[in-house]
Amino acid sequence: MKNQWIIFLYGRVTVKISGRGIERLLNVLTRNGIDIWNVKRHGADTITLKIKLADVMKIRHLARKSGCRISFLERSGAPFLLKRMVKNSGFLIGAAMFIVIVFLLSNVIWGIEIKGAKPATEYQIRQELDKMGVKIGKFQFSVDNAEGIQRKLSNNVNQLTWVGVELKGTTYHLQVVEKNEPKQPKKLKPRNLVAKKKAVIVRMDIDDGQKKVDVHDYVEPGQLLVSGEIGQEGEETKLVAAKGEVWGETWYKSHVELPIKTTFHSYNGKEKRKYYILIGGLKIPVWGFGKHGFKEYKTEKNVHKLHFLKWELPLSYMDKTIREQEALIRTYTNKEAEKKALELAKKNIKKLVAEDAIIKDEKILHKVIKNGKVILDIHFKMIENIAVGKPITKEIHE
Amino acid sequence: MAKTWVGRVRSWMAKNMDLPQDVMMDLPRITMIGQIHIYIENHRGLLSFSDKELRLLLKQGQLLIKGKSFVIKTILPEEILLEGKIDQVIYINENSGGTK
Repeated sequence: MKNQWIIFLYGRVTVKISGRGIERLLNVLTRNGIDIWNVKRHGADTITLKIKLADVMKIRHLARKSGCRISFLERSGAPFLLKRMVKNSGFLIGAAMFIVIVFLLSNVIWGIEIKGAKPATEYQIRQELDKMGVKIGKFQFSVDNAEGIQRKLSNNVNQLTWVGVELKGTTYHLQVVEKNEPKQPKKLKPRNLVAKKKAVIVRMDIDDGQKKVDVHDYVEPGQLLVSGEIGQEGEETKLVAAKGEVWGETWYKSHVELPIKTTFHSYNGKEKRKYYILIGGLKIPVWGFGKHGFKEYKTEKNVHKLHFLKWELPLSYMDKTIREQEALIRTYTNKEAEKKALELAKKNIKKLVAEDAIIKDEKILHKVIKNGKVILDIHFKMIENIAVGKPITKEIHE
Repeated sequence: MAKTWVGRVRSWMAKNMDLPQDVMMDLPRITMIGQIHIYIENHRGLLSFSDKELRLLLKQGQLLIKGKSFVIKTILPEEILLEGKIDQVIYINENSGGTK
């Protein structure tokens, strides 16, 4: 007998033979090269045996001559199984569809939760997300991944200091920190106002407290500007929180260097997109074949993890965008370079001081052009609020 | 046994040249595993089969196997594998008067 499993693949049939001279027929069958097994006797003139599906036509032909009657009882094996499977293919298709649907639904965005934002900001974030295509019902792999969303959101929504985007299952959780969080009005303790920089006072707007210096006075850092002790001399004094703004003229020196020639890289709009499916470390290209042929280029990769229900599959979907770059050389004339350097210096200065400070005057102290660079030393006169609060402690009072 | 001249030579060769008898003399080779299996090579066809009895034609005479619940596991032109509970294996010689 041959291997069970090979016969299973071919398919087997149980044959019932009845009549006289069954043994003679068996001899004839074996001599004609038909594999027979599991021969069993049932009563006086009936036996059952098993043969291969392929031998069915032969056995019919041989049995006709012998005068025995044959009938086929049971069919089993792969060919019949296949037939049944085709017949019941609805179930199979249904099962496959189910898995596909569950897989697709596992990769759909089902929720966007925004925490820590004011309603107005939340609305703005939602609009920005809509613009990016991050909407409920969209596929996760059709939008940027969490880092990309995070980057774009913090670039495009000005009110945000920081936004954390996290994909948990099918929901995007956005944790937002706004720039101007609603401040709690805090009760100020008694304090003085002192100077934080050396300056010449230009203007004083005092709400509370007693002035100790005057306009045009020169003050040193730490010098008392407005005292929190009020009351006539000799009388009992009262402690208050000195409040107000003292505007002083301050001075800054700035040193800037600006190259006259600068090389820039800019995209020229040509790009090639490639799509891959990642299985473990294996990258299978799905769409976008061939070489890009760009001389200078930048590649942007975007990997989306695929999910099945709550599990992360070892599969991910990656799209790669290759953008061609062109190098641009920008050359300034000396005058232009000087202007740009000055702008740069102003920008640098602005970073050092509070937002409400104003540049009153600037003076170029020193100007050199050497090694393809413009080097400037500039003196700035600024008007800014120099008052800072300093709490009055008991020791000072006594 | 060795009626003819050829038969005599074969018998002599088998005896003196250490050759297996079944090859030389066309005898059946019967292998039994306990009572449950019997494997017969070199038979000449099936004569009768029921669940209690199997009769095989040999080159000389017949072989009768008696027992219970017989199933032919495999049958090939010269080989047969029988399964069941085997009680007796009997050789029947033509001249000594078989049942059939």
